[in-house]
Amino acid sequence: MKRLLRMSYLVAGLGGVGFFVMSILLLGVWPGRALEQQIQQTQPEHPPALTASEQRGRVIYGREGCAYCHTQQIRYLPNDVKRFGKATLAWETIFDYPQLWGTRRIGPDLSREAGVRSADWQFSHLYGPRNLVPDSVMPAFPWLFAGAPDRPTQEARDVVDYLETLGRDRALAAPEGDAHARAACNCSDDERRFAFGPGPLNASPSMARRTGDFPKLAAGDRSRGRIVYARNCQNCHGIEGEGDGKGAAGLSPKPANFAGHEYTATRLGFALWNGVSGTAMPAWRDLEPADLASVAEVVRGFHAAQTEPAIPKEVLALGARVYSDRCAQCHGTSGSGDGPAAGQFPVAPTNFRTQRPAIAVSLRALRNGIEGTPMAPWAGELSEAELSAVAFYVRTFFSGGSQ
Amino acid sequence: MHDSPQSASSPAVEMQFVYAHGLAALVALLISICFGFLAAMEMLLPDAAGDSPWFTWGRLRYDHTQGIMLGWLGNAFFAFLYHAVPLLTGRRVTSPKLGQWIFGIWNFLVVIPGWILVLAGHSQPLEWAEFPLVVDVFVVLALLLAAVQFLPPFFSRGLEDLYVSSWYIIGALVFTLLAYPMGNFVPELVPGARGAAFSGLWIHDAIGLFVTPLALAIVYFVIPAATRRPIFSHFLSMLGFWLLFFLYPLNGTHHYVFSVIPMSAQIGAITASTLLGVDVVLVVANLMLSLRGTGWFPRDPALRFVGTSTLFYLIVSIQGSVQAQMSVNQSVHFSDWVVGHSHMAMLGFASFAALGGLVHAWQRIPWARYHAGMVNVGYWLLLAGVVTMVADLTIAGLVEASSWKSAAPWIESVRAAKPYWLVRVLTFLPIGAGFLIVTIGLFAGSPGEGLKEIQQQIGLEPVSEIAPRIAEEVR
Repeated sequence: MKRLLRMSYLVAGLGGVGFFVMSILLLGVWPGRALEQQIQQTQPEHPPALTASEQRGRVIYGREGCAYCHTQQIRYLPNDVKRFGKATLAWETIFDYPQLWGTRRIGPDLSREAGVRSADWQFSHLYGPRNLVPDSVMPAFPWLFAGAPDRPTQEARDVVDYLETLGRDRALAAPEGDAHARAACNCSDDERRFAFGPGPLNASPSMARRTGDFPKLAAGDRSRGRIVYARNCQNCHGIEGEGDGKGAAGLSPKPANFAGHEYTATRLGFALWNGVSGTAMPAWRDLEPADLASVAEVVRGFHAAQTEPAIPKEVLALGARVYSDRCAQCHGTSGSGDGPAAGQFPVAPTNFRTQRPAIAVSLRALRNGIEGTPMAPWAGELSEAELSAVAFYVRTFFSGGSQ
Repeated sequence: MHDSPQSASSPAVEMQFVYAHGLAALVALLISICFGFLAAMEMLLPDAAGDSPWFTWGRLRYDHTQGIMLGWLGNAFFAFLYHAVPLLTGRRVTSPKLGQWIFGIWNFLVVIPGWILVLAGHSQPLEWAEFPLVVDVFVVLALLLAAVQFLPPFFSRGLEDLYVSSWYIIGALVFTLLAYPMGNFVPELVPGARGAAFSGLWIHDAIGLFVTPLALAIVYFVIPAATRRPIFSHFLSMLGFWLLFFLYPLNGTHHYVFSVIPMSAQIGAITASTLLGVDVVLVVANLMLSLRGTGWFPRDPALRFVGTSTLFYLIVSIQGSVQAQMSVNQSVHFSDWVVGHSHMAMLGFASFAALGGLVHAWQRIPWARYHAGMVNVGYWLLLAGVVTMVADLTIAGLVEASSWKSAAPWIESVRAAKPYWLVRVLTFLPIGAGFLIVTIGLFAGSPGEGLKEIQQQIGLEPVSEIAPRIAEEVR
C-alpha cells in the first residue's frame, strides 16, 4: 500500500511536469508552428527588415516602456479594425525580437503608425508631448534632443525611423500582397474579414492626404469652436491664431498663421478633413463635423478684415508679369496651386484662390521664402518694386470668403 | 506558557534567514511601491520626471512590478520558507552557507542591480520579465540554489503524507525554475507573434506557478498553525493543488484573445481560465471552512492577513475567469480594469498572504521586535487602500472601454480616465502608510513582544506540537 502510494505521487509528479510541458507544447510550440505556416503562406516575398537605425530605435522604444502604453497588435475585432486598420497578420511581426505587442493601451495602438505623422511632428511630440497634445500623459523625452525639438540626437532619429517602420511592410505589399495573402491564408472567415476586409489598411483618422473629398462645413458654433480649438489647435497655431503656439517651435514648416490669412470655407474644410500633407498638420477626421465647422468659424475669426487699398493698374500689371514668369510654374496660372511643377513637391504650393495672405505676410514670404517648404526667397532675384507688385497681385486670385 | 521561547521556535529554523529575508522584503516593498506611486503620479504630472531619463514612466513601471515580484514577494517567500520548511519536514534546510549565497545573489545580484540597470536604460520590454538578461541569469541561478536549499528536506522526509503547503512549495520551486527561462529567454529568440505566445504563457506562469503557489502555501500553513485546527479537508486541499497545477499553465494565451494566435489555442486557454475559477472556489471553500469560527477579522494578525488574502483570492480568480471570456475580454482588455485586476492579485491576494506569513514567522523569532498595534493599524489601512484602488481602476477600465467603443477621439479616453488616476494616486496614502506602519511595527516594540502576544491571546503553542499536526492530519 505504502509502495503504491509512493508510486502514485511519482505518477502525479510526472503528470504535473507533463502538464507543464503540455502547456508549452499546446500553447507555445503548436501555435508557433501554425503561425509559422501562416507566415509562409501570407508574407510578401521580401519584406524589408529593419535597418541599423530602425533597429536601434526599436531598442529605445523597448527600453523606455513605449510598449506598455501603445500596443502593436490590432485585434480581430470590429472596434479595433475601425479605429486602427486591418488586423495584424503574423508575418508583420517577424522582425520583432522580442515581441512588442503590449497588453495595455493608454495611448493609441501604433501598429500602423508609418506615414501617419510628419517627422517634425514626431520629434516635437517626443520632445514635449503636451506642446502638441495638451491632454497627453505621455512622458517627454528631452534627453533624446540637444535642447530643442528641432535638434534631435541620433537616438531620437532612430526612434522616429523605427516608428516609420510600423505597418510599413504591409503598406508596401498592399494591395497585391494582401490579395495574395487573402487567397493563400488558411484562415477562418472571421479572420479573413478582419485582416483583409474592405476598410482601409490604415484607419488612422490623423493621416494627412494631399487630395480627397471632405464634408461641407455647415455654420458653426463659435463658443463650442473655442473649446475644440483650445484642445486641439491652440498649442501649435497659438491663442491668437498667429501660428506661434508652444508646439510651433520644432515644426517646419511653421503652423499656419490664421491672423495673417483669409480662408475660404472650402480650404478650411479640406485642411481639417485631410490634413496638410507634407506638414505636421494632421487630419481631424475623428472630430465630429459639427466641431470641425465650429473650429473653422473660430479660425476665420482670427483674421481682422481690413479695407483693401486700391492698387494702381500698372502695379498689378507688373505683378502679373512677374507672377507668370516666376510663380505660375508652381502656383498655377490661375493661382490655384496647380502649376506643372506642383506635383513634385512634398508640400503643395499655396492655392491663392482659397487662401489670401495679408500683404505683410505675402511680402515676407516672397522676401524670405517659407522654411520647410520649396518656396524660395526671392529678395535677391526680384527688385523691391517687383516683390511688392507680385505680393499685391497674388491677393487678387482670392475667390472670396463666402465659399 | 511552559516552553521557553527558544524551544517554542524549533531550533531547526534558521531564524536569522527569516529575519534577513523579511527585512529585505520589507525594504524592497517600500521601494517598489514608491516606484509605483511615482509612475501613477507621472500619469497626472507627466513632466514631473524632468529632463532626466532615470525616472521616466516606463522605467519606473518596470522597476515597480519587478521589485514587487522579486524584491518583495521573492524575499517574503524565502523568509516564509526558512520558517516553514523545517516545520513541515522536521529537517533543517540544506545549508546556512547556501542561505547566505541565495540571500546575496537574490538581493545584490538580482533586485538591486536589476532596479539600477532598468533605470539606467538596460531592460527587456517583456511583461514580468523586465530586468535585463544578465540579471535573469542570476535569478535562474538563485532559483536553482533555492531548490537545492529547500527541496532535499522534503525528499529525505519522503513524499508520502506531505501536507498541502509542502506540495505547493515543491511545485513552486520546480515550476518557476522551468517557467522563468521560457518567459525571459525564449521571446528573445522567437520573434513577434510566435514569441508572444510564450510571453503570454509566462505572464500567467509568473503569477500562477511562482506567486500563487507560495502564497497558498503560506495560507495553508498559517491557518492550521494559528487556529490550532487541522485544515478542513486534506482531500479538497490536494484536489485543489493538482487542479491548480494542471490548469494554471494552460491559461497564458488568454492575454492575447482576438490576436493572430490560432483561435483553438485561445479557446483552450479561455476554457482553462474558466475551469480555474471553479477550482479556486473549491480551494477557497476549503480554506474558509478551515477558518470557520475565527470571524471575518481574526484577532491573530497573521491569520487576519491570511483570511483576507483568501477572500481576495476568490474574488480575483472569479474576476479572472470572467474577463477571460471573449464577450468581456473584447471590452476590458487593454484598459485599467486589468491593472485593477493585477493589483487585487499581487496586492490584495499575494501581498496580504506574504505579510501574513511574514508576521507569523516574525512573531516566532524570540528576539525580533514586534508591535501588535502597528501591525493592526497597517492592516486596516492596507485593506481600505486596496479596496478603493481596485474599485477605482475597475470603473476606470469600464469608462475607457466605453470611450474606445464610441467614435470619440482617442484622447477623450485619456481625459475621462484622469479623475480615476487621481484617486489611484490618493490610494497610495493608505497603502504606503499601511506598509510603512507594518514595517515599523516589525522593527519597533520590545524584543520578543510577538511571542508574548501569542502567549497572552491563545497561549503559546510549542512548534513541536504544530509540526506533527500538520503532518498528522494527512492520515
